Amino acid sequence: MACNSATGCQSGCYKNEFERDLKPATETISDSNEQNLCVKCKANEPTPGAGEDGKHCLDCFRSNLFGKFRLAVASNALITPADNVLVAFSGGPSSRVALQFVHELQQRAQKNFDASKDRSLPVFGVGVVFVDETAYYPVPSSEIDNAIQEIKLIVSNLSPPTKELHVIPIESIFCSNPCDGRERFKKLVDSVSDATGKEDLLLQLRMLSLQKFASENGYNRLLLGLCTSRIACHVITATVKGRGYSLPADIQYADARWEIPVVLPLRDCLAQELNMLCQLDCLKTVELLNQTHSGINGLVSSFVKILQEENPSRESTIMRTAGKLTPFHFNKIPELNDSSVPLASQRRQKRFNLKPNESISSESFCSLCYSPLNQSDLTSLSSHDNCKNSDIFVAACCSSCRFQIFPKDPSSMEKFYSLLPEPLVARAKHVRNGDSSLLREQIQDFLLSDSEDDA
Amino acid sequence: MEVAESKSKKAGGRLCSTCNQRKAALKRPKTLEQICRECFYEVFEEEIHQVIVGNQLFKAGERIAIGASGGKDSTVLAFVLSELNRRHNYGLDLFLLSIDEGISGYRDDSLQTVKRNEIQYGLPLKIVSYKDLYGWTMDEIVKVIGLKNNCTFCGVFRRQALDRGASLLKVDKIATGHNADDIAETVLLNILRGDIARLSRCTLITTGEDGPIPRCKPFKYTYEKEIVMYAYFKRLDYFSTECIYSPNAYRGFAREFIKDLERLRPRAILDIIKSGENFRISTSTKMPEQGTCERCGYISSQKWCKACVLLEGLNRGLPKMGIVRSRGQNNERTKDMKQNKGTKNIESKQCGTLDF
Amino acid sequence: MQLTLEFGGGLELLCDSVKVHNVDVVPPKGSEKLIMKDLLSWVGTNLIKERPEMFMKGDSVRPGVLVLVNDCDWELSGQLDTTLEEKDVVVFISTLHGG
Repeated sequence: MACNSATGCQSGCYKNEFERDLKPATETISDSNEQNLCVKCKANEPTPGAGEDGKHCLDCFRSNLFGKFRLAVASNALITPADNVLVAFSGGPSSRVALQFVHELQQRAQKNFDASKDRSLPVFGVGVVFVDETAYYPVPSSEIDNAIQEIKLIVSNLSPPTKELHVIPIESIFCSNPCDGRERFKKLVDSVSDATGKEDLLLQLRMLSLQKFASENGYNRLLLGLCTSRIACHVITATVKGRGYSLPADIQYADARWEIPVVLPLRDCLAQELNMLCQLDCLKTVELLNQTHSGINGLVSSFVKILQEENPSRESTIMRTAGKLTPFHFNKIPELNDSSVPLASQRRQKRFNLKPNESISSESFCSLCYSPLNQSDLTSLSSHDNCKNSDIFVAACCSSCRFQIFPKDPSSMEKFYSLLPEPLVARAKHVRNGDSSLLREQIQDFLLSDSEDDA
Repeated sequence: MEVAESKSKKAGGRLCSTCNQRKAALKRPKTLEQICRECFYEVFEEEIHQVIVGNQLFKAGERIAIGASGGKDSTVLAFVLSELNRRHNYGLDLFLLSIDEGISGYRDDSLQTVKRNEIQYGLPLKIVSYKDLYGWTMDEIVKVIGLKNNCTFCGVFRRQALDRGASLLKVDKIATGHNADDIAETVLLNILRGDIARLSRCTLITTGEDGPIPRCKPFKYTYEKEIVMYAYFKRLDYFSTECIYSPNAYRGFAREFIKDLERLRPRAILDIIKSGENFRISTSTKMPEQGTCERCGYISSQKWCKACVLLEGLNRGLPKMGIVRSRGQNNERTKDMKQNKGTKNIESKQCGTLDF
Repeated sequence: MQLTLEFGGGLELLCDSVKVHNVDVVPPKGSEKLIMKDLLSWVGTNLIKERPEMFMKGDSVRPGVLVLVNDCDWELSGQLDTTLEEKDVVVFISTLHGG
C-alpha cells in the first residue's frame, strides 16, 4: 500500500505534495509530558471528537484524513492530470468529504499549473453527479427540489475551478422516454420479491446509470465515496450471499471492469472519521433519503456497527482481511498506451501497477451484477445453446443473483427479462461473445511482438 | 409420540413433499421442503453418506476415532457413522474418543453420556484426561489462573489431547462433529479476526493430512437444526450444558448473527461456506513451518509446542507464560494472544466442543 | 387450557432445571383461542426464572431455539400464529449449547 517508489517523480503525480503534507502526520508519537496538546503536532489543543480518543487537533485530524485520501490517489494512479473525474455525490458525509478532497486536490493542481513555466501538465477536470432515486424512495417533490438547491449551492461554492453539477434520475438507464422509463424501472424493481435482492438490484441500476452518464459525457473516472466501514459491510454481506469468489473485485481502490473505471479513494477512511470531519469543518450534507438497509444488508450493517462499537479497529480488520484476497486483473487503472499521454505519466503508471497480471484468465461475468464468475457458476453455461434469450441470460448469472433477484417462477422470467434496461442486456450479450474476442486480445500481444521482431 | 398421531389436524393438511403420504414433521432449512420423519431420516443419512463418499473421507479398513463430547453433534455423528458403516459396508473400525478436562459438574456429567453411548452404539470408548497427560485438571488450572485465560489453556490442551488419544487408539483419522453452522461461524470469525491463514483452511473438510492424524468433518454441510431434530426424533441421548468456566461462550455474538441470518435466509449458512471455499487466497501465503516440540515431540512450529509452554508456566508458578509474551520472541504466540484479546467479545461457542 | 411444555437442549436450566411442565394457560381476554405468541409471553413471565434473553428475542423465541408442537416443527404450522389446543405438547429445544 505504501508508496515506495517515491523518488524522482517529477510529473503530474501528486505524490510530491503528498509527502510534504504527510510528514507531520506520520511522525511517530512519542511520550509527551505536555498534557492537553495534540499528540501529533504538540502545538495545538486537541479538538474534542477529532481522531482517536480526541487527542488530535483539528488540523492534524484533517491532514491525516486527507493524507489517506491522497496516498490512495497517488499510489494507485486513481487520478492523473489528463483525467476528467465524475464524483458521485449522494449528499451523505462520505461523498461530501470525497467531493471536498477532490476539490482541494484540484485546487492544488491548478495552483501548480498556474505557477509552472511550461504549463505542460493539464489540471484534471471534475464534474459532480447526483442520482435522483425518487422513483424508488418516494419523496415529496418540494423536498427533492430543496435538496437539489442545496447540492447546487455546495457544488457552486467549490470553485474555482468550476465543477458542473448533473442531476440524473435513476430511471435514465432506460433508453425510452422519461415517463416510460420510470414505469419500467418501478415494474422491474417491484418484480423482485426478496428485500435484499431488490436493494442489490437498485445498486446495479445506480451503477449502470452512472456509467452511462459518465460515458456519454466525456468522463473517464467515476469516483465513489465508499469508505472502510461500507466496504467492511460489503465484505460480510458478499460472504453471506455466497459471493466469496468475486468479493475482492469490489473492494479495491480501482475497478476497471466497467467501461468507466471506478475509483475508491476513501477506501481507508472510517465512516466515523468522515462524519466527524463534516461536523468539525461544517461541511454541509444533504440527508434527503433515510436509506436504512433491509434484509441481509440491514442485518449485516447492524452486526458490523455493534462490532465496531466494541472494538474501533474491527472495520479496518475486516477490510484488511478481505484485502488479502487476490484481486482481479481489472483491479487497477489500465495502462495508458495512448501516445498523446505524456511519457512521464506512462512511466509512472508502469511503476504503480507493480503487481503482475495475476490472471488474465478469460474471466466471465454475471450478466446481471457483473461480478466475475467462478468455475462452479460457469458449469451451467455451456449446456445452453438453443434457448430463449432470457434463458441464456439466467444461465450466465451468478447463483446469488439467480436466488435473490430473479423470479422464482420460470414462467415470469421472460417478463422480467423484458423489463431489464437495454445497456444491461447489451452488456450481457457482449460479455458472452467476449470470451473468444478476449482470447484474441491475448494472442494479439504475441502477434505484435512478432511483427516488432520483423521490423 | 402417540399424541402426535391423534392430533393430525394442526398443520394436518401438510403432507411430506417426498413420500406424499405421511404428515410432514419439519421444514428442511437446506431445501425448505416439508418432510415427514421417516423421509427426513433417510435424506439426512443419505446426504451424509454422499458427503463421505464424494469427499473420500474414509478408506476401507481404516480405524476412525469419533471425537465424542457427549453433546448433540458428536452423539449424532457416532450414531449415524456406525449406522452408515453397517449399511454401506465402509469397513471401518469406529471408536469413541473423549477428553476429560477435569471439570466437575460439567465434563464428568457429559462423560456419563458418552459411556452410555459406548453401550448403546457398541463402540469402544477411550477417555484421555488432562490429569493423566499434563498432571493438571482444568479445575486445578482455574484455581491458579482464574477465569480469564482458562479457555486458552483448555483449547490448546484439548487439541493435543485428542491427537494423543488418537495415537493411543492407533487410529488413522479423527472424525469431529463440526456442523455447517459451526463452519459458517468460523469463516466469519476468521474474517473478523483478520486471520487469512485460518480462513483458507477452515472450510476444508479434511485437515491435517500432512500431520500425524488427519481430521475430517462429515457434518460440514449439515445444518445444526437438522442434527438437533434428528437427535430429538430418534430420542438420542445427549448432554447439553455449557461449560461452567465459559459462561460467555453461550452469548456468542457471531453465533447469534448466524442464527439471525438463518431465520432470514436459511441458505445463508451454506452460502457462507461456499464463499469460504471459493475465496481467492494465494497459495503462496506462508504457512508456519512444521517441526516437532523438543520437549514432548508433538508437532510444533516453535521450539516448544504451545501446550509445553503453557504447562511449563503452570509448573513453575508463572501461569502467564505463553499468554503474555515479550515481543518478537515467539511471533506465533503473540499473534494468538492478540487475537484472543481482540475477540473476547465476539467469541462464540468455543468450549464444550472439540476444537479445531 | 391444559398443555404440556418441554424444555431441552439446555433451556431447562432457565426454569429450575425442570424439563417437563404441565401447565394451565388461559387464552388472553377477548380471545377464544390461544396462539403460540400468547403462550410465549406466558412462558416468559411464568416459567423462565433467569436470563430470559436466552429464550426470547422480541416477541418470538430467540433464533436457534427449535419449537415443536405435537412433534411437528412450528415452521410448518405458522410459527407465532400456530393455534394451540387442549392437551397439546409444545417442545422447546435450544441448539446453542455445546456439541
